[in-house]
Amino acid sequence: MKTNTCSVSLSINGEKKTFATRPDEKLLDLLRREGYKGTKYGCGQGTCGACTVIMDGRAVYACLLYSMQAEGRKVRTIESMGTYDKPAPIQQELVAAGAVQCGYCIPGIIMSATALMETEKDISDEVAKEYMDGNLCRCTGYEKIWVALRRTLDRAAAEPAKKASPKGGKK
Amino acid sequence: MKLCEFVRPASLSQARASLRKLGPKGMPLAGGTALHFMPGKTPVSAVDLTHLGLSYIRQKGNFFEIGAATPLSDIQRYRGPRWAMHEICRRISTHQIRNVSTIGGNICRVFPWADLPVVLLAMNARMVIYSGKLKEMDADEFFSSQPARLFRNGDLLTAVKIPVLKAQHGFGSVKATRNAAAFSMVTIAALLELKGGVIAAARVAAGSAIPFPKRLRSVEAALTGKEPSAETFRAAAALAGTDAKWCKQEGMSAEYVAGLAEVSIVDALERAAEFARGRTA
Ligand SMILES: Cc1cc2nc3c(=O)[nH]c(=O)nc-3n(C[C@H](O)[C@H](O)[C@H](O)COP(=O)(O)OP(=O)(O)OC[C@H]3O[C@@H](n4cnc5c(N)ncnc54)[C@H](O)[C@@H]3O)c2cc1C
Ligand code: FES
Ligand code: FES
Repeated sequence: MKTNTCSVSLSINGEKKTFATRPDEKLLDLLRREGYKGTKYGCGQGTCGACTVIMDGRAVYACLLYSMQAEGRKVRTIESMGTYDKPAPIQQELVAAGAVQCGYCIPGIIMSATALMETEKDISDEVAKEYMDGNLCRCTGYEKIWVALRRTLDRAAAEPAKKASPKGGKK
Repeated sequence: MKLCEFVRPASLSQARASLRKLGPKGMPLAGGTALHFMPGKTPVSAVDLTHLGLSYIRQKGNFFEIGAATPLSDIQRYRGPRWAMHEICRRISTHQIRNVSTIGGNICRVFPWADLPVVLLAMNARMVIYSGKLKEMDADEFFSSQPARLFRNGDLLTAVKIPVLKAQHGFGSVKATRNAAAFSMVTIAALLELKGGVIAAARVAAGSAIPFPKRLRSVEAALTGKEPSAETFRAAAALAGTDAKWCKQEGMSAEYVAGLAEVSIVDALERAAEFARGRTA
């Protein structure tokens, strides 16, 4: 039987897109060929986390999804995060903690951390570790990544309090 | 496994009709995570089951009903009275896999490492199968051999029904792994019913270190009528070799695996007894 070509329509980083694809093309391959190269290919078999993207609010491995499974879904890649000039808080903290060595795992780490922060409230270490359990790093030994994540979570937790306090602070 | 077509049926009956028409060239797809690893040179047509309203968990009378396309992470996060399924789901692979892979995908084609069949055997779960109409099958029959046999003619699993545990019931599961996200070396699940200080009934199941998940009937028999004590659990676990031929694994002799299984059985029974006495998490 020959492989048919087909098309898939999805939202990527807030933009509606339609792509020609094949039924067995992986979402990771489609993203990379369409220029979303921040999403990395590591193991290609669902063990390293380098290909992590967020689909409808959940962290998923793009290497274990067929592109057709993304039909009608909202996909977010690392390209939706901060820029070099305006990094997102998690990116700032990763740099400040010296948590980036070769950097290959970092896009996936950032996407898992983003899913954590956008889904959970009052984040305990246990919950944070559960969200991060699918991302491997071969360089850092995790401690600095953990420090950066904890600092980002603490910053986020402090922010609503800052916003809630009356303008001008103490009288 | 190569895909040559991706079919998106609008209803369960359409999904079944597509699969019947496709015959051996059709393949139900839930999370799709196992499809990537399935052998086979002939491309298949994937029939997507994820838009058919099969992702839910609800309590209905004496059962929790879990839709077949419910991701493992939803089962892990769900909380209901005396709910026990989260414990094993938290131990399956990684966050990203649990977000995609489904209960149906884990049990309709059982791979050697699958953890849920072990738990569902011990829990005495019931599977709901759509074959034009809905019918139910108990776990013992469903897992009597590879469940894929039940789905060759286009029938589909729609839900799994798990009995709500009563006050005197206790459940415990243990998955022994080399590291947190690794495949299981041995998985054990145990359900105990306590009455008047003794074990009135027991269901104990094992998987991963044996060719196919199964109940350990000699262990169950040795528990029944006894006090739920450490000695009872150890004596019962020592009989596991009568029920299961433990297989050697990479870096582990069959004797080592048998020892690991015995210890895991005792741990699962202790967790079940603790649960019956009031532990809920
Ligand atoms: C890296 C990795 C690690 C893993 N570790 C573990 C582990 O430790 N423990 C464990 O238990 N599992 C583990 N898994 C297995 C994972 O949970 C399975 O891939 C998953 O259960 C399959 O679910 P799915 O929804 O993706 O199924 P799919 O891939 O969509 O389908 C699997 C099979 O079931 C059939 N099927 C699916 N739904 C139905 C239905 N409703 N009716 C009839 N047939 C159906 C499909 O046709 C196919 O044959 C791991 C997987 C990966 C990739
Ligand atoms: S490339 Fe997807 S998990 Fe490694
Ligand atoms: S920084 Fe190199 S893999 Fe993580």
